Amino acid sequence: MNQSRATQFGLPRLSVVGVTIAGLLALAVASWVFVLAAGSQQGADFFSLDTLRRGWHFVAQDLLGIDAAGTPAFARWSAWKDTAPLAYRTVAMSVLAIGIAGLVAVATFMFGARNVMMGELAPYGSKAGTLVFVVVRGFFTFTRAIPELIWAMIIIFMFAPGILPGALALGIHNAGVLGKLSSEIVEGLDRRPLQALRSAGAGRMQVLAYGVLPQALPRFLTYLFYRWEIIIRATIVVGFVAAGGLGFEFGLAMAHLKYTTVTLLLIWYLLLVVAVDVAAALFRRLAK
Amino acid sequence: MAGLFEGRRLLTLALLGAFAWSLASVSWSDRLVHPGGLNAVGEIFGDLVHPELSFGILSDAIGAAWETVAYAVAGLTLALLIGLPLGAVASGVLARRSASRLALVSSTRFVLAFFRSIHELVWAWLFIAAAGLSPMAAVLALGIPYGGILGRIYADLLNDVPEAPLRALRNSGASEWRVFWHGRLPMALPDMLSYSFYRLECGIRSAAIMSFIGLGGLGREIQLSLDDLAYGRMWTFVFFLAALVVLVDVWSSVVRKRVEV
Repeated sequence: MNQSRATQFGLPRLSVVGVTIAGLLALAVASWVFVLAAGSQQGADFFSLDTLRRGWHFVAQDLLGIDAAGTPAFARWSAWKDTAPLAYRTVAMSVLAIGIAGLVAVATFMFGARNVMMGELAPYGSKAGTLVFVVVRGFFTFTRAIPELIWAMIIIFMFAPGILPGALALGIHNAGVLGKLSSEIVEGLDRRPLQALRSAGAGRMQVLAYGVLPQALPRFLTYLFYRWEIIIRATIVVGFVAAGGLGFEFGLAMAHLKYTTVTLLLIWYLLLVVAVDVAAALFRRLAK
Repeated sequence: MAGLFEGRRLLTLALLGAFAWSLASVSWSDRLVHPGGLNAVGEIFGDLVHPELSFGILSDAIGAAWETVAYAVAGLTLALLIGLPLGAVASGVLARRSASRLALVSSTRFVLAFFRSIHELVWAWLFIAAAGLSPMAAVLALGIPYGGILGRIYADLLNDVPEAPLRALRNSGASEWRVFWHGRLPMALPDMLSYSFYRLECGIRSAAIMSFIGLGGLGREIQLSLDDLAYGRMWTFVFFLAALVVLVDVWSSVVRKRVEV
């Protein structure tokens, strides 16, 4: 299809895929040249035995606390007990975040689907429908393009530190991600059941309620749980600025060079990530 | 059918309950919202419509955008080098004997899970604490968790390939390697490509926030503007970041349409 179009206009055969591969290769080479040049400009040579030695020292002595004075934090029961409430609050932050993202996405994703607003599911296509579509898609793009950390830096102007600003930052970013994904689900739905409903005399709202929604909802839930796995990982960086949960403690420990506490918090994260992955997989099975 | 319905209802209840629990664990009080906080956020979003577009700011933004893209692309090439081989091993399609297969698959999957369970910004912070500030720290920090994510997804995609064509290859005498190169890989490649493109989009966002621990790029410009309370300038850099993300998204959807037919 691509080739026939190219010959039609008498252009050389430039396929999109070919241009993409060549472009990506060129971009990769340019990026590596830039990174290596910028690295050597800064004086410290990253590729050296000294780096390796310092790295080993950091892992063995600082993070694992070998030959350091005192028991490392991750080997003390009291340190685990002190950080457990932070882990609890971190989970609460992630659930609040995915809840916010899910509610916003559920309320808007129909309006971001091209076929619902101005395609075959909108028999009387109107300017208003197109306008709503553009606004909703623009909202998804805008919220999605800004990383959660930057949302947190803005939101912290308004709220006292805690899990709410962190959850809001994560929720806004993920509302954009989820909204876009779910709109695309609706755009890619199997048309035949919808046509069957139409020909049986269902109105537009009835097609949406009985044709689109039941098909789209299970896949929406799949994406929801998949995003939850991503969100629990991201709570750590949002915590740096929004001061909620394990992330804030991690920032403090790094700043005060308490590296065995850093290790303890990283172990907590490993446990949380595994637990959330297992729970999300279970929920996904229930949703199917 | 009834069991399925019960599962759904149970799920709905569980989800609503979890959300209510998370709402309850916020410490609600009058001090939750800063006095004047609403005004500050109003000012920030008020400046959304007049970003600073002077020549100096725009050339700063272009430079910072390139730096962000360079970190993202270099990090992603590293992620591909990690994810492709480990993903192929973790899919378990290369080993025949079940004992060695189980050991290989589970150990590789564990390594991939470890790589991705730590956020890229945390990797970056650890690398900088260990080896000093260097752009390579950002590239490694991006490459390792993204390699873990790519490896896991590649493994799943390689496993999900339809079996019938592979059986045909095997029946005509192809070795397991040949089946992989000429059957499995080509069939999984379109999905692998489109997912990798999606990760490039994520990589640009992640590279942007690397500035949080002292590296350059769009994130640092955004942070500096916020510190100066120069919201108009901040939006200029945010728009550049958004434009990069949209560009990659459009590019990938064009490529996906060509590949997936």
